[in-house]
This record gives sequence, structure tokens and C-alpha cells, in this order.
Amino acid sequence: MSTNTGYGLSYADIRETQLAALDESLQKQVRNIKLVRMRAEEANIERILTLTDVVPLLLPHTAFKSYPESFLAGGKWDRLTKWLGTISSLPTGDVDLAGVEDLDGWVDACGRAGLFVSCSSGTTGKSAMLPASQEDLDFIAQAQIAAVQWGSGIRTGDMRTSAGPAGIVAHTPRNMAGGKAMMEAFVDPAAPRFSSGLPLATIGTLMRMVLLRKKIADGTVEPSELAQFDADSAARERGLAEAQIRAVEDVISKRDKRLLITGMWGALYPFAEAVRARGFSAKDFHPENACYLGGGLKRAKLPDNYREYVFETFNLQPQFIYQMYGMQELNSPMPRCSAGRYHIPPWVVALPLDKTGDNLLDIGKGEIECRAAFFDLSLTSRWGGVISGDRIQLSFEPCECGHASPSIRDNVERFADLEGDDKIACSGTVDAYVRGMS
Amino acid sequence: MSTEATENIVSAPIFVRGEVIEGNDIVHRSRDLGVTFATPNIPFQKAIPPRTEVPPLLNVPAKEIIDFLVETGQQLVAPDNEFVHECFERMASTHILPRSVVENVSKHAVAYLDRRILQAELDQNFPDPRVLDEWVLKEDFTGRRAWVRACAPRLIHVLPGNSPGVAIKSIAQGALVKAVNLFKMSSADPFYTVAILRTMAKMDPNHPIVKSMSAVYWRGGDAGVENAIYRPQYFDKIVAWGGGDAINNVIKYIGPGFQLVSFDPKTSISLIGREALEADEIMEKTANKAAADLMMLNQEACAASRFQFVEGPKALVDEFCAKFQRCIAERAAAAGDVRALDKDLKENVETLMMLDDDYRVWGKTDGKGLVIRSEEPVDFHPINKIGNVVRVDSLGDAVKWVNVATQTIGFYPPERMADYRDALGAGGAQRVCPLGEAGPSTIGTPWDGMYPLHRFVQWMVNENGIPA
Repeated sequence: MSTNTGYGLSYADIRETQLAALDESLQKQVRNIKLVRMRAEEANIERILTLTDVVPLLLPHTAFKSYPESFLAGGKWDRLTKWLGTISSLPTGDVDLAGVEDLDGWVDACGRAGLFVSCSSGTTGKSAMLPASQEDLDFIAQAQIAAVQWGSGIRTGDMRTSAGPAGIVAHTPRNMAGGKAMMEAFVDPAAPRFSSGLPLATIGTLMRMVLLRKKIADGTVEPSELAQFDADSAARERGLAEAQIRAVEDVISKRDKRLLITGMWGALYPFAEAVRARGFSAKDFHPENACYLGGGLKRAKLPDNYREYVFETFNLQPQFIYQMYGMQELNSPMPRCSAGRYHIPPWVVALPLDKTGDNLLDIGKGEIECRAAFFDLSLTSRWGGVISGDRIQLSFEPCECGHASPSIRDNVERFADLEGDDKIACSGTVDAYVRGMS
Repeated sequence: MSTEATENIVSAPIFVRGEVIEGNDIVHRSRDLGVTFATPNIPFQKAIPPRTEVPPLLNVPAKEIIDFLVETGQQLVAPDNEFVHECFERMASTHILPRSVVENVSKHAVAYLDRRILQAELDQNFPDPRVLDEWVLKEDFTGRRAWVRACAPRLIHVLPGNSPGVAIKSIAQGALVKAVNLFKMSSADPFYTVAILRTMAKMDPNHPIVKSMSAVYWRGGDAGVENAIYRPQYFDKIVAWGGGDAINNVIKYIGPGFQLVSFDPKTSISLIGREALEADEIMEKTANKAAADLMMLNQEACAASRFQFVEGPKALVDEFCAKFQRCIAERAAAAGDVRALDKDLKENVETLMMLDDDYRVWGKTDGKGLVIRSEEPVDFHPINKIGNVVRVDSLGDAVKWVNVATQTIGFYPPERMADYRDALGAGGAQRVCPLGEAGPSTIGTPWDGMYPLHRFVQWMVNENGIPA
């Protein structure tokens, strides 16, 4: 595994450097990001001298979805730009809104001014909107490639052939930058690439649900709009099912090639099932096949042996399996090591918080069960400090794999999923039950 | 797991038709406060009598039931009631509201157990309340006759966690319709219902009311329990308060023979006319009334106002907002309620503070009371002492924001209520009242768009043909 990326550095070695970088980030961003300035003033924090000083300055993920929905619904693009300006360090004055008619148009206008807006792909609820600079996008590309090579035997110049389940990928600057870099690094440009033929999911299409929900709550939605929305969703599912059949054909036809399989667990598992149903399994695939796995289960319900099942189907050997932990709010992936733990790069500061997210836990010895919070020092266009909804087991001690960097056990769960929803009250919001959306 | 081991586990006994069952078989978390409590396994075969057994209360006269409920009320406020005492002790650790508020509300709720109130409920819910006690003979215009009876139903009550008053009301109403009742308590309050029932059992452990009541806890949505008991073989109706996953889970089981009576989650608002802004003194009084409606159960109640539509120019509306915020903060301070705002909520409000072309905020995000002024309702749920004043040119502009989830509309000036109530009703609203009066309601009037007792019972007809 490559060693020049810093993934192996112990926390003790870099603690002082991290603190200095945190303080530098605060001094710079307190001037540029209105939200950070507000937080710092409220908490009366001028310098970051200890990790505790960062805690009141960490943003919940909701900070990136705090825009009033009426700005989207009412096409108030100047207001939406102003909102973006409160969470981003990049100037919004150059965003030319002339001719902007919809959300995608607004995202394009921001892009022309150097503010690349990506959104999280939540299909219900509100989506987060995350600005990035070109510098951030370049970093994401670089960090992904470095992480893959640290966390697996996959190497640049491998000239692999890509394959994987068909999926509707959010067409965001972040995904595009990461995806393009990965293909360039590991895949043979001349190898045939599967095209699902599915329409791209732009920010505008992802946000349709948000706007529809607002119309439901406002009581202005028409039955035909709801019927259309359902019909579109059904058509999308049919399209996906049809593309899936072709994706299975595609991977089978490439079975003698050295593959790079990419996808999420929720899609990969049924993909593997379909391949087996066609009578193909490990013996039919190349022994140096590799896979890039993004994200967790995302609430997909799969059998306990889902990983082994997928690995066995495609003849995937451990050294060629890349898995990582990460989140949209950060630039940097945390690759999984040979001992099965996710390692934190030195430019990301791990902050173990209590369940409420208010207090930093003692780093001490051994594993700490905590709410995950991180400060990604690589971020330039927005504040790097975020609190997640994840419950993790974090250790600052050297890992069994031989690397000394802080690492996370492979049993990440969302607090929300752990607790279930047993809370009922007679006071509530309309959309909580008018159409069962919340 | 180390964090959990150090916490105290609070025991929550259950009540099954007169029997108190203690035990720490199952450990649960109270969602709001993250407190751990433990309950015994539920002996469902004891809690749910078979249908071959006539409900114990069926032939107990309503008058006797009322007598017992009134006596229960007396016992609940008796200073030496150990069950209630102990219950408040335990509730202090699981309830979202401060102990003093919970205690006051619970004491206030006992007032429902009044002979005149309970009789009025029966008289208003049933054109002829005798149907509860006997088979009442009816004759149609052809001369055909039948006896009609409001039969004792088998009810599951899914109780909310925000209001102790609902526990008292549900027990009383379940008794008035002579139902066999199973109360599913909430994680925010797995104690008070049991305390009431224990008080009853102490008065008379074999009373048919006591033999008709069980109060238990399971985690809402637990398919292991719900799939087993949410069935017409066991129950006729599920009376559910609230919304969210708890209700979405219930809906799966609804079908012929197992019906839902739903007290939906509600939002309440205020409509404040330009008359309120005419003079400083009136503005002050109106702001105080608006704050009173907002601070019902410290804004945890469904009747507590969340959005205040104020008619007038921005400058005057802003003056109103300043007074309104002060009034909320005074009430919050008096209640000793210093709960911090939820992180997401705080984030949302702080964003609006930065978007100061469209929004203005009075007060801080410190949980001590704040007011946001906007031109459209904010898209989050104002809770924990937050008012959202929506400025409108005319109160008519506010009507479009009314929907089926709108429960109570406090109105100022009251003289204008008559001009708007038809439109508000068409929008889906259930109740209009003078501003400042969201709390009290006229005894025996419908609630959430229905006469609940009438919805609870199962009607049965005994035909008797045409007399020769």
C-alpha cells in the first residue's frame, strides 16, 4: 500500500499542527463566512487553542439545508444566492442571475461565478446544498484517488474496465469531479463503458420533491400534479429496472476483463443476485477484479452475508476491495484498512462528541462510542467543522493493520435508526400526516 | 454502551385490569431526553379479555360510572396520594416539560372529573344518552320497531406524551362509553396513566371500571406487539393521538372491523386584525393575549399558537413583535422553562437572522422566547416558545394557510370572527376562539371535528318487527 499520503500518521504526531491549522481556518473564515462569524461571536471564541474550542463552532448538517423553501418555490434566486453567501466563504456578488428561470439555471449561474453547488440526494425531506470552489473539487478528485490506493491494491494506470449496476446518480459538480478522476486514474479509456441511458438527476429534479411537499403543505397542489409525480416516479423505476437487465448483460459480457465495479450496497446486492441467476459466479470472473464501494447500507435491507455474497459473485479478493466512510459535508474519504477500520487522514480532525453533540469526549485510551464530528481542514469554500448523525466507535490508538492514525470501527449507525420513532404528540405539522411525508 | 450503564434506570410498572405488574424485563429509551426506563413483559392474554366475555361495564349505569370518576378526581388531588406523588418523581426524568408545569397541568386536568362536565359530555355526544344504559325502543314512520343500544366497544388508546390531561380524559371517556380499554402509553410519560388507574384500584380493586382498564408500554411501531394485537378479534377501534411513525405504523393494521379514530397532530394559529395595532395600550394587551395562547403547555399543546397572522404595515407589525416577544419571555421565565432550542431549530432561526431583508427576529436562540417576523410562514415547526408573526395586508390573506391540521384559531378582534369562520371551516379549521382563549373550551363541544364518544361506541340494533 502506498505510504506517502499521511494516512498512517498518529494523532499525537499531528495534534499541534492540527490545532494551528484549525485556528488559521477560524481566523480566515470568521471574516468570510457569516454563519461562522455569528457562531464565534455567540460562543465568544476568538482563537482555537484546544479541541474544545471548536465544538461550539461545529455545524449540524442542517446548516446546509436551512434555506427557506419559499425561496425555491417562489423563484427568489437573489435571496437564495444571499443564503448561499451566509454559508460559503466565496463571494456571491459575481453571480449573474439574468435569465435564471429554475433551480438548475441558478446552479449553473453560481457555477459560472466559481461557486459549484452540489446537493445531497435525499429523496424526501429537504436536500442540503453544498457550495464548493474549483480548488475543493480538485482536492476531492485527488483525495479519492489517494484513498483508493491507500485502502486497496487498486493502482493508477491499472487500465481496468468499468462495470456495475445501473443507477440514477445525482449529477452534481462533486460527483462529476470525483467520478471523472476515478475513471481517468483506474480505467482504460478505450474499454467499453456501460451507458444506462437513464436521464441525469440534476439538482432541479432532486428538489422537485421538496417543492411538491411545500405545495402540499400550502394546500395549492393539484391532483394532476400528484398523479404526474407518481407516474414519473413509476416510469423512472421501470427505466431503472430495464437498464438493470442491460447492466447485468454488460458485466457478464466483460467477465474475462479486469473489472472495476462501482456501486452502493443496496444496488450491488440485487445486481449480484441477477448475475448468479444467469448462472455466473466467481469462477467466471477475473481474479484481479476490483470494486469501489461508496457509503453504507443507506437503510437498504439485505441479508447478513450481503458483502460475502457480492464479493464471491464477482471473484473479488480482499486486496482489491475498496471501502470507505465519508459524508457529503466533507471533502475527504476515510478508507478502510486491512483490519477493517476506516482511517482518518491527518487533514481531517476527528472530534468525538457526546450524544447531544454539545460536549467533546475525552480521547483517553481505547475505543470511544460517540457522535461523529469532523473538521476537514482541506475545505476552502465553506466551514470544515460538521456534526453528523452517525454513532461511531472511534479510536486514537494504533490500529491492528499497523497504521497509527485514528480509525473508526466498521459498525457505523445513525442515531436516528438506533432510537426509532416513538415520539407522539397531539401537536404537529401538516405534512407529517397529510401525505405521510415528514 | 458505557454511557448507558452509568445511567439510572427508572422502573415503569404496568397496570392490567386491576393488577399492578412490576419488573424490568425490557429497557427503553425516552426519545426526547434520552432517559432509560424499564417495563415488565406484558401479559396480553390478561389485558385483552376474550370477546366471549361481556364487557364488565356494559350494564353498570352511567350515573354510577360518573360517581366513581368524580371520586377518582378527589383521590388524585388528595395530598396523601402516594401513586401520584411517586409518578411526578419519576416523570421529572422522562418528561420534556419542567416538573412544575407537568404537576400543574395534571392537577388542572383533574377538573375534568366533575359530575356536571361528565354528564354534559354524555348529553352532548348522544341525542338520547339512555342508549348507553339500556336498549332504547325506536319506531319508524311505517310503524316498524327496534331496540337500539350503544354497545361497549373494545378500544386501544395510543396516548400522546405531551399532555398529562389526555390520560385523564381518555380514561374518563373510555369509562363513559363502558369500553374495554388498553392504553398504550408514550415514552415521554409511561407513568401517569398507571398512577390514575392505581388510584382507582385502591378505591375498589374489583370495580368494573378497574376491570376494564389496562395501561402498558411498548415501543410504538414494535411489530412484534402490534402485529399480534392490532386485530379485530381483540379490538374494535384504535383511538390514536398524534402523528409521525406511531400513526403510520397503526395505519397498516386498519381494516374492516378495526377502525381508526384519530386525534391528528394539530397546529394552532392566531389571526390578529389591524384593530390590535391602533393604540399602544391595545397592542400591549393583544400581544399579551397572543403570548398566552402561544405558551399553552409551554407551546407543547396542540392548541398552542405557532403562527400569528397580523394585519398591518411592517413598522406597526414590528412594534407588535417586540411586545409579543417580551410577553412570551416573561411567561417562559415565570414557568422556569429554560429548555435550549433543538440544534436544527436553532440553525434554522439563525439563518433567518442573517437573511434580514425578508426576516426579522426578536429575542435570541437561547430557548427563552423569540419571535420571527416574515411575509410567509417559516418552513419549520415553531416550538419551544417561538412565535412566527406573518405580516398580511388583510386577514383574508391568512385564510389560505389554514388546512385540515389547523385546530384552534385565536382571533382578534372577536367581532370579526363571524366574517371569517365559514372560510376558515372550509379551509379545514376546527375551532375559532377569541385571542387569549385557546385554553378553555365550552363543555361538551366537538373536538378535532368530531363528537368523540359518539365515534367510540359500537351501535347494535335488535329488530322487533311491526306489532300486530
